[in-house]
Amino acid sequence: MKDREEVMENVAIHEDWRTCFSQLAPGLVLFARQWVHSAADAEDIVQDAFVKFWRRNHNVQNRALLYATVRSTALDRIRRDSRRARREREAIADLEQAVEPEFRTEDESQRALAMAMERLPNEQREVLVMKIWNELSFAEIGQALGISQNTAASRYRYALRALKKDLLPQ
Amino acid sequence: MNDFGEIENELKKLRPIEPSRELFARIEAQLGRDAAEEKVVRPTAFRISWLSLGAGLAAAALLLVFARVHFEKTPERKAAWRAPAQRYSPSRSEAPAARSTIPAQFVPAGATEVVYRTQDEGLVFPTGSSEPLRRVRARVRETLQWQNPQTGASLRVSYPAEEVTYVPVYGQ
Repeated sequence: MKDREEVMENVAIHEDWRTCFSQLAPGLVLFARQWVHSAADAEDIVQDAFVKFWRRNHNVQNRALLYATVRSTALDRIRRDSRRARREREAIADLEQAVEPEFRTEDESQRALAMAMERLPNEQREVLVMKIWNELSFAEIGQALGISQNTAASRYRYALRALKKDLLPQ
Repeated sequence: MNDFGEIENELKKLRPIEPSRELFARIEAQLGRDAAEEKVVRPTAFRISWLSLGAGLAAAALLLVFARVHFEKTPERKAAWRAPAQRYSPSRSEAPAARSTIPAQFVPAGATEVVYRTQDEGLVFPTGSSEPLRRVRARVRETLQWQNPQTGASLRVSYPAEEVTYVPVYGQ
């Protein structure tokens, strides 16, 4: 965590997009994956959003705005390409194992956890992704999603509870 | 929140798939284009004048046509160097077919070259020559014209040019 903060401070000073992006990219792509089912589409969304964000000279430490930009870019893309999204959803429903993995899993328990993540409702999953893999505070999450800090915290708890229940030995 | 400490730790152990290198390259390319555009110096009070822009584009298009025509008439220019006495005819109406770079439906319809100023710059001794030559500089305006016989549409290009000829001096 400390390394990350140091990098972000350096980024703020040097404005080096590559340093900034290499830190944020895995989490951003993971965040974008909840709206699309291929890594390539998620990368397209992240590319558009990050370039838009960087071009407007936003403060890179304003991560809430960065995630909000990714989110709005993804939703715009879905609206613009609704037919394709529908085809994707249908394909996913027919052949769930064809969905590209979002995580590098090392054992069965991690694979089970990753699959349980996919079963979460979107509103819980996005909070979880922002909190765990992007290290945003609840205040930042609330700002990015346009919800209150308390709502963000509640959704996070619901998500953890659902995962715990899902993974309990039967 | 402590109830969920264990599941949180498990989640943190999951590593998201790394983005492809292509993603970095694509962003770099996009931001690189921005940086290149920023290096262009623009006046602070720059305003686009659409009329000027249109006129400029039209002029640029004509310039391109001119450039092609100009290069392709090089053999003729060489001939003119060999026979300087025939160079300055006030007008010509023939249109060499080799000049045309216009689409096939346009055919050459005319070419004129008007000399509006000549200047004798005196005798010079070119390198390797033992005899003096008289250098004459001429400013001309060349006009080329094409016409589409089917539609009657015509295209005319007119441009200024400057030509220097060397005239041999015999017993002057």
